[in-house]
Amino acid sequence: MKNGALLIPVCLGWLAIFWLLPRAKPRSRILGAIIGLAALLALQATFLPPAGNIVRDGMFYLFSGSAILAATLMITDRNPVYAALWFALTTLSVCGLFLLNSAPFLSAATIIVYAGAIVVTFLFVIMLAQQTANANYDHRAVQPVLASVMSFVMLGALLFALQEWGGIDGKADDVAREGQFVAVDASSKANQFSQPPSSNKTEIGSMRVLGRSLFSDYLYVVELAGTVLLIATIGAIAIAPRRSQGTL
Amino acid sequence: MTSTALESQLVVGAILFALGMIGFLTRRNLILIVLSTELMLHGVSLNLTAFGRYHGNPQGQVFTIFVLTIAACEAGLALSLILTLYQRRKSLDVFLWGNLGEEDLPMLSSGNAPPQAKPIDPNIDLPQLTPAGRAPSNPATKA
Repeated sequence: MKNGALLIPVCLGWLAIFWLLPRAKPRSRILGAIIGLAALLALQATFLPPAGNIVRDGMFYLFSGSAILAATLMITDRNPVYAALWFALTTLSVCGLFLLNSAPFLSAATIIVYAGAIVVTFLFVIMLAQQTANANYDHRAVQPVLASVMSFVMLGALLFALQEWGGIDGKADDVAREGQFVAVDASSKANQFSQPPSSNKTEIGSMRVLGRSLFSDYLYVVELAGTVLLIATIGAIAIAPRRSQGTL
Repeated sequence: MTSTALESQLVVGAILFALGMIGFLTRRNLILIVLSTELMLHGVSLNLTAFGRYHGNPQGQVFTIFVLTIAACEAGLALSLILTLYQRRKSLDVFLWGNLGEEDLPMLSSGNAPPQAKPIDPNIDLPQLTPAGRAPSNPATKA
């Protein structure tokens, strides 16, 4: 069976997540942690071969492992404050992966927007709203069997598609193919400010290349995003409760 | 960068997406549901930047910036909605909002509908329109 190796990490991961999901009666977390680590190791052996560069591989395993670990702890923690903090750790790990993808500006922006703004405001709301520390709705998961089975079937389908795609088995060549999925249209080619695909890969995340692409090819989209931000701000102010309606 | 590194990143992105999906489906806390959607967006952003590096063009990162923008909008709106909902029911439990129907209207499928739980205080649940503009002058008092 050609794709049989895919079943081991998926089934082990499902078992770990299903074991760790919050229940009315708490379970031992050590067993779930052991199963989860076994799933990650099986996944590494099957799907995540080292690329050859030892520093890059080490950083990739570090960041991706901490991202997956923190995400697992976030969705299984019974305390919502800790869950939000685990989400902040996930964000930091993903920003490390962004750095590996030569996106330093994006990494800094994501840290500022997520860890600096979103997580902190959500933490404020959790702390304002939950004066009673133990809310029983945090201690029981909704339909844990159905939800975890469905999500892991989807994950298995994604991994299967990746495997069938061919690169994981080492069939894909190492040459980067420019514009394989998206062809550059004529109007973008005629735009003299448009940045041609850079051959220097360390440069693609720099402010210069990113800014040229943003404000030439995607100028209308930038305007549209600004409008969406403005509308969302107005909507949030309109929806949020007034002081005259009482505070929390 | 070899292609194996690309696929490793795609695998990590898929795992983050699946974990966010589990969190979205199983948690009952309103705030954690919103944070789980942000986790799914992280997985997608990881895919986008990996493809951008693989193809050597900035389009993946530009798209991730737009994802970031929409995520910020979504977080702001979700936060104000959660505050409003919390003020009505004094709880972050999403199950309290399973029924959005109005009580004085008949149910669409009358007959086998389960009996609905009464809200805590019916006066709190009524929507309040924000007074906007200026009140028109009453001609009766002016005359």
